[in-house]
This record gives sequence, C-alpha cells and structure tokens, in this order.
Amino acid sequence: MPVSDAIKQVSDVSWEIPTSYKPGMNVPARIYATKKLLDAMDSGVIEQATNVACLPGIVRYSYAMADAHWGYGFPIGGVAAFDTETGVISPGGVGFDVNCGMRLIRTNLRFAEVKPKIKELVDLIFKLVPAGVGVKGSQNFNQSQMADITGLGVRWCAENDLAWEDDPLHVEEGGYIKGADISKVSRQAISRGVSQFGTLGSGNHYLEIQVVDPDRYLDRKLAKEFGIVHDDQVMVMIHCGSRGFGHQVCSDYLRNFESGMRSFGIEVRDRDLACLPFSSKDGQDYYSAMVCAANFAFVNRQIIVNKVREAFATVFHREAEAMDMHLIYDVCHNVAKVETHSFDGTRAKLLVHRKGATRSFGPGHPDIPAPYRDVGQPVIIGGSMETGSYLLVGTTKAMEDTFGSTAHGSGRTMSRTAAKREVRGAELQRKMLERGIYVKAATMDGLAEEAGMAYKDISEVVETMDRAGISKKVAALRPVGNIKG
Amino acid sequence: MSFRFLPDVALADVAFEAESDTVDGLFTTCARAITDIMVDPETVRPTVTREFELSSPDLDRLLYDFLTELIYTKDVDSLLFRTFEVKVDTRRVSLAATARGEAIDRERHRLRNDVKAVTMHLFGIKKDGKNWKTTVVLDI
Repeated sequence: MPVSDAIKQVSDVSWEIPTSYKPGMNVPARIYATKKLLDAMDSGVIEQATNVACLPGIVRYSYAMADAHWGYGFPIGGVAAFDTETGVISPGGVGFDVNCGMRLIRTNLRFAEVKPKIKELVDLIFKLVPAGVGVKGSQNFNQSQMADITGLGVRWCAENDLAWEDDPLHVEEGGYIKGADISKVSRQAISRGVSQFGTLGSGNHYLEIQVVDPDRYLDRKLAKEFGIVHDDQVMVMIHCGSRGFGHQVCSDYLRNFESGMRSFGIEVRDRDLACLPFSSKDGQDYYSAMVCAANFAFVNRQIIVNKVREAFATVFHREAEAMDMHLIYDVCHNVAKVETHSFDGTRAKLLVHRKGATRSFGPGHPDIPAPYRDVGQPVIIGGSMETGSYLLVGTTKAMEDTFGSTAHGSGRTMSRTAAKREVRGAELQRKMLERGIYVKAATMDGLAEEAGMAYKDISEVVETMDRAGISKKVAALRPVGNIKG
Repeated sequence: MSFRFLPDVALADVAFEAESDTVDGLFTTCARAITDIMVDPETVRPTVTREFELSSPDLDRLLYDFLTELIYTKDVDSLLFRTFEVKVDTRRVSLAATARGEAIDRERHRLRNDVKAVTMHLFGIKKDGKNWKTTVVLDI
C-alpha cells in the first residue's frame, strides 16, 4: 500500500501510519510535522520509522519528530521505547556519537558590551577549544582516571574542581547516567577518548555566542525562570558529543550485535537496526559501555564550558562568576535511557531510545532540577549557524504523548557534497559577517557543508513541536559568533 | 584502482564507492579514500612508516577493521597516511599493510573532514565480473 494511502492525519501537526502498512509492524508510526514539513520529509523517514516499529518489545509508537531525516536504521529524529524485559537495545537507535547534545550557558552581559569584542572572544575560544581532524584537548587526564570520569561524569568534575558546585544539577541526569562500567569499554575507545576531552569535533558540531532574539520569540515570564532577564542577553551554546570514545564504543558493539542477533532469532528489515534483547548479556554490556560514553560527553562539554568561562574572563576582565556564567541546562540527543513512564493505564520502566531527539520532561517530574521543577525541563534545540536556535520547556503533554521526547535540531535537507557545490566557505563566511555573525572554522569546506540552506527551517520545526504541545517555546537565540570544526 | 564519492547516499556523512581488479587494490583504494576525506593527500609527506597486521572472521569484517584501525591511528597517534601497500590473504582472512605518512600539521596540511567511524550502511565487498567493489559510508 503506498504510504500516501496509509498515512492518516491525527492533528494539524501529527500523522499516523497504521500497523497494516507493513508486515511485522508491532506498533503504528507517529510523525510530528506540519503538512509542509511532511511533504518535504525524505521517504527514508517513513521507511525507517516503520522498520523500527517492527522491532521486538517496542511500545506505543515508533516516533519521528519534526526535524526527522533518514539515518542508519533509525531515522534521525527518531524515538522508540521498549519494554525492558521483552524489548531490544539498538546502537542504531542511539547513534555513533553517543550523547551528542547541547549545553546552554547564560551570561549577564548585554550584546552592546559583547559586540565590539566578538572577534577577540571567538578567536580566543577557537584557540582554547580545539576543533577539527585529529585534535587533542589540553586536559591531561590519564587512562587510570577514565573509570571515575565515565562513571560519575560532571559530578566527578565538581569533586575535582573542574566544575562549579551547581553545574551537575543543571545537566540532564544530574551530570551522569548511572550504570557505567568501564570494563565493558575497549582499550581502543579509552585510548581514543582520553586525549579528546575539551575538544569540539567537526561536522555539525559548534560553539556559538548567541543573543536573545525577542523579535523572533521571547516569553519573558518563562525565560526569567531560566535566568534570562534582558532582551539582549548574551548566551553561549555548545553542540558536541563523546568524540572518538563514543564512536569507538558504537563500532565495537555493532560488530558483535550483527552476529549475536542470529542466536536470538532476531531478524531486522535493515542491518543498521542490529539489536539484541536488552536483558541479554551483550545488550547489558553495550548499555554499560554506552553509559560510559554518555558520561564522557557530559564531561567533554564541561571542560569546554571551563574554557569558555576562561575566555570570557580574559576578554571582559572579570571573573566568570561575576558574569553569572551558570549553566541553564545540558541535554542529550543521542542516547538510550531507562525511564519510568505512564501509558495505556499502566506505569512501567522502559528503555527509551532518542536518536537525534531531546528529552522534554514536564512540570513536576522528579528528574528535573528543583529550581525548574515547577516550570518544566529546559529543552535546547539547535538550528543551523545562520538561523539560530531555541530554548523551550518540556510539558505534561510530552509525558502523555511521546514519552517526554521532542525534536533536537533543524535536520539536514541536503548532503555535504551537494552543499559544497552550492556554497563556497570563504564566501559564506564573508556574507555571515555582513549579517553580523563572526565565524571561525577549522576548514572552509566544513563551513560550506554547514550552510543554512542545507537544513530545514528551525522555526517551523520548533513551531510544530510547540503546536503539538510537546515543547513550548521560551526564547529564540540568534548567533553572533560561531566556532566550527 | 579508483574511488568516487556518492553525494546522494548520506545526508549528514560521507560515502564513497571503491573499485579494483584485485582485493589488495580494493583495500588500498578504500584507505586512500579515507585519507582523501580527511586531508589533501598531496600535502602529506610520507616520512613515517606504520605497519598494520589484522585478521578477522570474514573479508567484510577485515576491511571494516582495517579502516577502523586507520581512524584510531589518526586519533591516538595523530598520523595521516599518504600511501598504502596492502597485502590481503583471503584464505586466512588477514592482511599486512604498510602505510606511509606523517603527524598532523595544522599549518601545512590542508585538512578537511574528521572521519569518526565506519558505518555498516551499505557496507559489503562484492565481486562484479573481474572487479572487486565496495561502498563505504563514514560517520563525520
């Protein structure tokens, strides 16, 4: 049956593909999109979301968020929750870059003060936060520390004077996911990762100096809850993940999962959906290693924050504390976590895969830090370097509809090669400067590949999730300075 | 021996197709393609030699493991390679390779994308008539 016949509109921003669409579907697929976004979505999203729906133990829906595009196995922008007893865990449902995520830091600086120093600030951060091919960080951890670092994440940083006291509180999961076991991580992953703390990576990773953009959107009452009190307040946003450590963990386990599936009689429609029972030894081993990688990423972003605070202090000649450079929040958007959710009249522990999707917990949830609990969890959705990003807040409806999940970014519409054909990096850099965005990139090719026209319209993505009631807009943030790998 | 990039295969990453009339040549070509994604190879001097010896359960895994080893060497030892000589023993499913290159020099090397992992997407060595072929999609 063609998908055009099968797909049913559920609301103005949500669609459903029933289980009758494809043999083996255990649950329907649910897609969040306006008609415009749906029409522009690549057919791979439908194919992959409905393949995911066939996986053992999946509950309720296979979700695709408004920024979805095809990935490996799971679509990017995909969410799938599994019964922890009967369901599977899939590295493809997490992604190679485990806990690729977003961190947002506020300052009390106003744009008028920052604008004349933006070049100096960006150039200094570019020196302090390495980005690009094979970069190494300046943080000299050794391999014997990796068990503690990946076990306790940002909490370890705070205990070792590498984070402010309240930093862990403002990171998802309190700065570390429980269940890490370094003995499940290969020597190669440890060797790759140990020298990469405090590095940005490349591809779509970035560090951005931003300004609140009230012309685009600002809910002043909600924004105040997160420490945003001025219409031209300066923020810093970091987008990166677990670097070579996480990638090696995924590479190591993907090899085992493919061969292991046969012994459990699991067949998948796409080899990238390689999975094993979550309750199996290999499934648990991957989970423990994945948690190490997730905590690595939290620490990586923390070390970068330390360098950002240092750069601001140098340029503005005052302490970072005096500039109120506290974390607003840090979210994962590539992870699988055990969470308790209520659905269909029951309450159960589920393994929730979010691949290119963000947690969006609503008011009152105990996992939200106390200062935000009445309001909801901050959600950070990153746009392209030309269009800016958004701060949003999680909702009760997200808990009811999507296991507390929302979109993560704009989503690509064009391949890297195609983007480079359309745009020259140097020309793009010049044009962005004319528009008031100072960009420093490790390579001009990398810059061209990340041009705004290669991405969906972030505002449409965010508007969709807001109209769906899944994550409510708080503030639009426009870029004024950017570092790319 | 040749490779070509596949611009429509991977939106967020990079994909290439490699072809050679020998399996040694296929492995060599894939290694060169990965280098080409990360750096302009003309800017890399072949002053450091590194030997690789691997064995794997099957030929696909051998290529996957070899390319993963190159990515690992780039991150851990900061080495990029300009030339490769690869000898594959298809009976033992093993290889011995000599790679020549140098440590990453950000002033002199024209660096490109950072390759982080080999994906399993479309991965698989095929024999097409006399030629060996494979598609490789890399996570960037």
